Amino acid sequence: MTARTLAWTSFIAIAALLMMAASGLTLLDPVESGTLSVTSPVQDVMSDTTRPVADWINNIADAGALSDENKELRAENEQLRSELARAREAAIEAEQIGELEAVRQQFPADDFRLASVIARDTSNVRSLVAIDVGSGDGVREGMIVVTEGRSLVGTVTKTFDDYAWVMLITDPKSAVSAMVQESRAEGVVAGDYGGDLVMEFVGQGAVVKTGDFVITSGLGGGYPPGILIGRISNVQKTEQDLFQSVHVDHLASLSDLERVLVLMSFEPKEIERP
Amino acid sequence: MRYVVGGSLSFLLAMFQASSVEQVHVAGVVPNVMLVMLVCWLVVRGLDDVLPMVAVAGITLGLVGLQSPGVVLLALLLAIAPAGFVRELHFVRSEFLLAVVLLFAASLIYESLLLAGVMITGGAFDLRGGFGDVVLPAAVVNVCLVPPIHLVMRLARPAAARNRYSYS
Repeated sequence: MTARTLAWTSFIAIAALLMMAASGLTLLDPVESGTLSVTSPVQDVMSDTTRPVADWINNIADAGALSDENKELRAENEQLRSELARAREAAIEAEQIGELEAVRQQFPADDFRLASVIARDTSNVRSLVAIDVGSGDGVREGMIVVTEGRSLVGTVTKTFDDYAWVMLITDPKSAVSAMVQESRAEGVVAGDYGGDLVMEFVGQGAVVKTGDFVITSGLGGGYPPGILIGRISNVQKTEQDLFQSVHVDHLASLSDLERVLVLMSFEPKEIERP
Repeated sequence: MRYVVGGSLSFLLAMFQASSVEQVHVAGVVPNVMLVMLVCWLVVRGLDDVLPMVAVAGITLGLVGLQSPGVVLLALLLAIAPAGFVRELHFVRSEFLLAVVLLFAASLIYESLLLAGVMITGGAFDLRGGFGDVVLPAAVVNVCLVPPIHLVMRLARPAAARNRYSYS
């Protein structure tokens, strides 16, 4: 080992440890904020320029699954159109008796804040995105983020003046109290390292089947109830397990989000033990 | 001058990784072009040339991502430095083969360290899922990028060194 190698190795190791300590004490926050503010236009240009190539590579990588997915989507589209027609009828009836008023109060249109995704976490083990609104726009940690189609995206975990980081529900650290809409079976939807959603703690006796919708239950106060999370794609039940293994598909693709909505009217409640 | 060029390239490389490469998902993981290039450059030029690039790339990638710059820097150092020492053992003559072996090992180390960081700080403790869905696929996908990137690296160095069969 040369003296120069030793010097550089020591320098990097010491710098890494110092920066880890500084990050823990949030001393690096202004630097991170400034760096992202300065570099986000450059990232936007690079991202937009290379997006067609990235899409092309992704399509090649997914070629085997695309045909099957296309068939499934056509079938699902037909089913959704039929459900939409029924839902319209139901909505008209509900409106007549005033039930939709509660939904309106839950999600008033002006309480959403539109945000663009400006960066993504660069590691394979986390699922986080940065959005271009921050504490200066009234965004606070704990606020929830949904897609434009109103399905759950995640939670704001860190805010800076002009941007914020959002932990997606597919992140391995994410856990959302949830229930199956049809059977009201409760559980916790958690992310895993493969970027998938798993509904945990669903008892063996609960009625859960493929195609059921999963929504937030509101338990714990971290999320408002009734927000769509996804649809059950696979249920595995073995007699020796305490719980069923329930896999959930998010309705939107969280890996290539571009715009999201921050629900400004909801503030998470911290429930203290009695 | 060499440091300025290397530092600038590393900065651009980290930005490219953060803004462009992260859009590409192969086998469920994002290829780490930055790590591939650093390891290929390590094989071609040695640890002395790569360590300054590791410093710039690690800090930049940490600052534009949510991982702490220190964590990324440490993970990169622990992935690259052992590879540099193994290179000096000259246990294979082929540069390309060495790049493949070192990159596979470096990817495993890098992704494992980030995975461990997440698990320690409250992420799901799922070793099988973590290795099966992230660490191993990431290492394999990175290795697939070696042929084109290693070729570019070979062409980027002086002609006399380029024409040698083995590295020095």
